[in-house]
Amino acid sequence: MASPGPSSPPDSRSTRRRTPVASNTGVLPPDVLFDVLLRLPAKELCRLRAVCRAWRSLTVDPLFTGAHAARHPLFLANFRDDQTHICVVDLLGIVVKRIPNADGHLLLHTSLDLACATTVRNSCQVLDPATGNVHVPPESPAVEHLDRENVRMPYTSFAFGRIATTGEYKVIRIFNRPTLAGFHQPHLFEVFTINISGSSSGSSHTQWRARQPDHFFDPSSAIVVGEVVYFKVDIVFDVLICGDVYPGIPLDCILSFDLEREEWRGILNGPISEIFETDKYAGDLDGYRGLWTQVTLADLRGSLGLVHYRKHRHMMDLWVRKDIDGGLWVKEYIIQIEPIFPTTESCVKSLFMLDDGRLVIHFPKTGLLFIYDPRTNTSAQVEMRHLDAVAMYTGNLLSLQVGDMV
Amino acid sequence: MAAADSCDGISTSGGGWEKTVTLVSSDDARFEVREAAASLSQTVRRMIRAGGDGGIPLPKVDARTLSTVLEYCNKHAAVPAPAPESSSAEAAAVDLEWFDKELMHVDLATLCSLIRAADYLEVAGLLDLTCKTVADMIKSKTAEEIRQMFGIQNDFTPEEEEQLSRENAGVFE
Repeated sequence: MASPGPSSPPDSRSTRRRTPVASNTGVLPPDVLFDVLLRLPAKELCRLRAVCRAWRSLTVDPLFTGAHAARHPLFLANFRDDQTHICVVDLLGIVVKRIPNADGHLLLHTSLDLACATTVRNSCQVLDPATGNVHVPPESPAVEHLDRENVRMPYTSFAFGRIATTGEYKVIRIFNRPTLAGFHQPHLFEVFTINISGSSSGSSHTQWRARQPDHFFDPSSAIVVGEVVYFKVDIVFDVLICGDVYPGIPLDCILSFDLEREEWRGILNGPISEIFETDKYAGDLDGYRGLWTQVTLADLRGSLGLVHYRKHRHMMDLWVRKDIDGGLWVKEYIIQIEPIFPTTESCVKSLFMLDDGRLVIHFPKTGLLFIYDPRTNTSAQVEMRHLDAVAMYTGNLLSLQVGDMV
Repeated sequence: MAAADSCDGISTSGGGWEKTVTLVSSDDARFEVREAAASLSQTVRRMIRAGGDGGIPLPKVDARTLSTVLEYCNKHAAVPAPAPESSSAEAAAVDLEWFDKELMHVDLATLCSLIRAADYLEVAGLLDLTCKTVADMIKSKTAEEIRQMFGIQNDFTPEEEEQLSRENAGVFE
């Protein structure tokens, strides 16, 4: 051994630190127990609550549940082979809980303690995975929209977010324009406030509120970052480009809606179109026409991200909007997806950032999930059943107390 | 000479000089360790940077525990930077895994001391290793088996136990 032994004999206090019987933690002191239980998955912990009061109170202590959630992130999943449940899963693919989902609602890609799931038939519900409680906003549109033909069409788009200052949750509903060609006819844009507490506050709303739509956004591209909903530009611009008409708007520009004030904000220029045909754009060019379909917006723990996936290389650039100098795009990651999978994927469906900086990437067609670790610059496929939709779950199943159960 | 300075040089088998530091346990045992190995402890690394004479005092770790911690650090610090795909790197990884396994063949009280020491010294790898060892002992055991293993008394009333099992059924599958 390289280290010499101790120069004085080890002491013989064999019973040192023996915890008093009164605290009833046996041979595992509380601080040690904390470190040990942190390394067990949630499902395992739940059984351990029955050991004794001390163990039970540790597993519901907010300090512990917070640390545990950071270490074992949970996701909500629509598995392709089970359309009648929404599952709570960890990144080992272990299903922690199954929630009935009879109508096949698909999750929006949020990162909240509640989830929002919708169907193509315009049904929408807000779900609390911990309690199983479901809130269903009314189907009937805002009074201003009652006589519009849009409201009877399928494929309505939704977005879901939380207002930090008030703790309110809001759903946005966007009815498509009546005809695809009707570029001059706007979408119908509505907001609804979810009243979680049931009756406590006076700000309970029972109606959708009509808001002015912006003409140039793509409803299905919505991502909520903090209290702002971001949209890609309308797909019509992509169609114009394909028809060799320059639309006057770059394909990667982004529109945004303030969810708290319920009004539109300015247009953000994207990071790519300006450098597209310059030397700065390192990498292969699939052509400017491909840009719209290759771009996905993402919430990177409070920062807006723009994912540009280049399928021929199985590679993506991840741009992050920094809050400096009035907003600056930085290409923070260049991610090689490995193992390379045979695919027709032309874009990423959703992307999440974990507490430790790792990225979770979902592809829509194959339903595969990848995890990218920036510390090692490697990606790996997550062993999980194929997914149609996935959301991050930031709530905590462990924090539930007796009596919270349905 | 070594006693007066926390940073000395000793000759390594390769003939070069390698920096060492002296660590002092709670019961005043002194350990002379290669700095590369001692630096696996973030706590020690900070103290080396802060400087000082007479060895680095570690008042929360006794000699017996510290010697095991240092055994871990010496082994892990000796591992060369991984040359990917090479068979020797693979062999080194296997060897390290075997070493870790052997190191964990200790009783529960020793494991607890090691967890505490790894936590205080901030040796991330060892903390993970020791905690996982205890976690594996707990895994897929019933509450009663765990109570027996760790000498814990069941202090729930029968009504509470009933409530708990219902609660768990509601939260998890």
